[in-house]
Amino acid sequence: MQKPGYSKTAVTMHWLLAVSIFFLFISSWWMLALPLPSADYRYRVLPFQLHKNMGMTLIMVLAVLLYVRFKHRPAPETSHEMRPWMHKLAVIDHIILYIVIFACCLSGYLSSAYSGWTTTLWWLVDLPDWGHEDEELNMLFSDIHLWTCWALLALVSVHISGALYHAFRNDGVVRRMLRL
Amino acid sequence: MTDSRPVTAAWASCLGIIAIVFGILLVAAHGNELLKQVVITADSAAAYDLPLRCPVDELTEEGISLAECEMMGANVKSMIISRPDWFRTFQIGLMTVGTIVAFGSIFVGIALVDYRNWAPKAAIISFSALAAIDIIGFIAVVNTGPLMRQLYLWEIFLWITIHLMMSAGAFAGRRSKSIEAPLAG
Repeated sequence: MQKPGYSKTAVTMHWLLAVSIFFLFISSWWMLALPLPSADYRYRVLPFQLHKNMGMTLIMVLAVLLYVRFKHRPAPETSHEMRPWMHKLAVIDHIILYIVIFACCLSGYLSSAYSGWTTTLWWLVDLPDWGHEDEELNMLFSDIHLWTCWALLALVSVHISGALYHAFRNDGVVRRMLRL
Repeated sequence: MTDSRPVTAAWASCLGIIAIVFGILLVAAHGNELLKQVVITADSAAAYDLPLRCPVDELTEEGISLAECEMMGANVKSMIISRPDWFRTFQIGLMTVGTIVAFGSIFVGIALVDYRNWAPKAAIISFSALAAIDIIGFIAVVNTGPLMRQLYLWEIFLWITIHLMMSAGAFAGRRSKSIEAPLAG
């Protein structure tokens, strides 16, 4: 029988994504104000590596979330509060959100791949240098990364507004993603 | 199938979702502050006015001017020279605790929306702890200098206000009765 809410794995992945995404935003605004890297000025090393590591991990977290979400579909939402247009808006917002998260992470990785900087996943696994140093491609993917991330912030705001609406209405919709 | 858990009280649902949203933002904020203090050490390049590297192609890539690039070094130096010797270690400790407690408040928020029996009491403890951490941080920053105060005080004050309001909400809510009714399946 379908459970009324999402599975514990989906819930865990969702909140892990949420916390990580906001940390990445706040830390990126700070780290971009650090001095440009050189042999003496190494302030950017740790924050940028952490940013890349988290971004790459988020792609995997998103993949797990999507797999679990579709393998263990929750029962359809039955709240009479959920109007058809709300449901449509939620579905559209979710789909675009998944695409934008993926695009944001992937473009960040590609920008790094063409920057000439090496990437070691969580300081443990050396990722192969399949990209070459290419200024134009680096800047292209860097721009894509920037604009997809601004779009992500806007979409997340819509998502959170919807969650707040349902929580304030106390209609049970939000409880589907809040199971301990 | 019936669900015998009580229907969530409206106050718990509202306060819970607010706690979750602010909890996520606070984990990010405290985590970032922790990262900042770890990265900016007292004996690093900016403290010694070592020459900065501002190549034209990277300035274009970053969308910054030469003056801005040079200012970035000054920015870090300003943090180093205005930060008392004890502040970095203190802040790393406080932000580590703060990040953990903020993470915990997310779970408390979830429990409030899901209306677990222990949630209202846990909310009072959790939000009060967050306010206490903010107040300790506020007092610490007051005992630094004007550059640090202009950087930190307003943001910490805002969080103190938020957490005190949430604590008051949890306290008031706990005194109200929940709606006890089995849900029809």
